[in-house]
Amino acid sequence: MAILDQFDLGGKTAIITGAGSNLGREMALAMAEAGADIVGAGRRPEPLEETGEMVRAKGQRYLTRSTDVTDSSDVQALMDTAITEFGRVDILVNNAGGGSAGRGKTLPELTDEDWYSGIDANLSSAFFCARAIVPHFIEQGGGRIINITSGWGYRGGRNQFMYPIAKAGMISLTKCLAMSYARDGVRVSCIAPGAFPHELGLETEARGGMQPAGRFGEMKDLGPLPVFLAAEATENLSGETILLVGGAIAAGVTPAGLAPTVAG
Amino acid sequence: MFDLSGKHALVTGATGPLQRALAVGLAEAGADVSLTTATTEMAEEVQANSILNECWSIGRRGEALTLDLADEAAVDEAVAGLEERIGVISILVNASHAAVVKPFVEMAEDELGLFDRNVRRVLIPTRVVGKRMLERGQGRVVNVASILGDRGVPNCAVYSATQGAIVGFTKSLGIEWIRRGVTVNAIGIGFYEDVPGPQQDPALREILEKYIPVRRLGQATDLQGALVYLVSDEAGFVDSEVLVVDGAISVHA
Repeated sequence: MAILDQFDLGGKTAIITGAGSNLGREMALAMAEAGADIVGAGRRPEPLEETGEMVRAKGQRYLTRSTDVTDSSDVQALMDTAITEFGRVDILVNNAGGGSAGRGKTLPELTDEDWYSGIDANLSSAFFCARAIVPHFIEQGGGRIINITSGWGYRGGRNQFMYPIAKAGMISLTKCLAMSYARDGVRVSCIAPGAFPHELGLETEARGGMQPAGRFGEMKDLGPLPVFLAAEATENLSGETILLVGGAIAAGVTPAGLAPTVAG
Repeated sequence: MFDLSGKHALVTGATGPLQRALAVGLAEAGADVSLTTATTEMAEEVQANSILNECWSIGRRGEALTLDLADEAAVDEAVAGLEERIGVISILVNASHAAVVKPFVEMAEDELGLFDRNVRRVLIPTRVVGKRMLERGQGRVVNVASILGDRGVPNCAVYSATQGAIVGFTKSLGIEWIRRGVTVNAIGIGFYEDVPGPQQDPALREILEKYIPVRRLGQATDLQGALVYLVSDEAGFVDSEVLVVDGAISVHA
């Protein structure tokens, strides 16, 4: 198969959790553009449906299901619905999560509830989704899982606990899933986006200058990567985390933005 | 997505099956492809010309040159000529790469020159082509590096050191250049068919095929997708990265 055809996702179905968020929507649209039908999952129905309208405008089918991805029985129902509606699921993107729970609290201030909700939203959710879909992947001879971590998965931050810890866990989950199901044709990879201002509401010009690239990530940087990782072209790639940070991790730059910069 | 039409790529060390797959992958994705070989050995030149023919047969343009990549003046002249005749080079794939598998103390003095083969012959073309890319504000450099840049294996110490050098070079240079529109990344390779290495020992091969999580050795064509992605316009924010395509062997405990 010629190489560009190996990036085609035609006939495949992708489940994307957190598909109503900016990053989730961007990935859904890129995968739809590459030919995939999309199942958008997440808590709030309105943004999920907005994503759906945009996917349908690209000529692909879209199913939305409001799902609490921290609830494993709800996750199982999501997978069952997707398989029933579309006949098959080929790709799972574990994108749901968020950094707000307990952020900035000191260790003694963090409650048990802060801990569990942060870990559940950012790590347990991916574990539940993978556990629910892998038997289907095995049955159909393979599938792809793409986990979304963060630059935080590589680095620590003061008074940042659940989010970086869960994101580091995503990198490990990727490796363990890759190892466990490689022989069943399941390929698992992970994307580590750096600071994407759409998500953070940051003053981009001032702080983007502290990044090696001189700017933060933009939405257009994101979409092609999950297409690549879901495609036939990466059949021999598994267990890896791909950094989408414009060099920020190699540079020793933290998402906090304190970075040595390069002139020019 | 990932279409390389209108771009001109230079692939160095184009004498082996991995380099063939890399060059043909770029050609299939639309790029014109030029190649270099290091020596005037007939077998190598035949290989390079055969790879070039395959790219031509897809309808692309390009040239194969015999070139000492360690000679900066010669590389500069060759690159200037290629850009004049074929078009500006916006993709450089440093694939000049050799392994020596031998106990460290038994290596001959001249075998330590592996640094010349695997490192200097990456640095020089990168500097020559990179300078031109920086002037134009656009370019993609991809280095081929082994996963031994990160992992240890006996009887591969010098080879590992050269690969570690390439990884460090990739990370730092990527950051130096990204603001000026040039990204620098590497593709990390594991155990592949058809290339020299311990996998060619049948007994070890059998073990590897069970040990590699994907349960097969790499095929040269496995590298095409990663290369096409990294050099595409769509990957402009992926930088200083080693993208490992090894059937997940480096994920093993």
